[in-house]
Amino acid sequence: MAIKDSGFKKKQGSDSGIPTSSMADIAFLLLIFFMVTTVFRTEKTRQIEWTEAESSQKLEEKRRDILHVWIERSGEVYINDQLVPIDQISDVIRPIYGDNRQLVIALRGDAQVSYDQINLIAEELQEAGSVRVTFATRMEQRANRARR
Amino acid sequence: MAVMKRKQKVSDEIPTSSMADIAFLLLVFFLTTTVFNDEQGLSIVLPERAEDMDVSARNLIFFIVQPDGRVDVRRGESEQVQPVAYNQVAAVLRAELAGNPNLIAAIQTHPGAAYRHMVNVLDEVKQAGAERISLQELEN
Repeated sequence: MAIKDSGFKKKQGSDSGIPTSSMADIAFLLLIFFMVTTVFRTEKTRQIEWTEAESSQKLEEKRRDILHVWIERSGEVYINDQLVPIDQISDVIRPIYGDNRQLVIALRGDAQVSYDQINLIAEELQEAGSVRVTFATRMEQRANRARR
Repeated sequence: MAVMKRKQKVSDEIPTSSMADIAFLLLVFFLTTTVFNDEQGLSIVLPERAEDMDVSARNLIFFIVQPDGRVDVRRGESEQVQPVAYNQVAAVLRAELAGNPNLIAAIQTHPGAAYRHMVNVLDEVKQAGAERISLQELEN
């Protein structure tokens, strides 16, 4: 005669601890995500007063296609952490643009810089042939906008 | 006297209990070093060098940015200059664009004006949906 359930009582073991065996898997998953998304900072962030604009749009270009041109309040221009005299900007940009035709210049200018500086830089960029330019801005909040 | 023999058990597996610690350590490292892409701005394509275009004055509207940030509007044909408030620039341009979709919005900035003022006007012009934008330096 067959014994029901083979005669063994099933263990009813409900573990109350956090399952540590899957912890490593979760951690590795997150780890891989951050490893893939990490881009190491290649240049110093300069102290500028950002300009703000409500119609700022996120750049779709890849990071390596974007070249930052920093214009400090003093009027000094920095490209890749190097101080570049204004009249030599085209000489610096031309080889970079030559290597990468997808290049987009992100002008990160201080809000108080006078426009003739920006105009001179734009002329230098034209001379280098690199004509895709973005005026880097921060997203403007409505409340700030009323005050300007 | 009972002699108990010690069990000599050497595990031949990778210790999984410390795996999580190692993974978390690396995770924290990458978390702190990550910089997310936060590039945003107002994109524009500058004209190529020596590419002077003849544009009919009818298709031009000038936004003149003064050093103190005031904005004047001048329609291409007329010499008449009309002051306009910042937040009105988009509305003015939108109305003009409705009448003439080929209109070029030319932002003429005084060399002494702060970059901020120019960006503000460019922002307004972009909001009005202008496709054709020209940046110029105001000549005296």
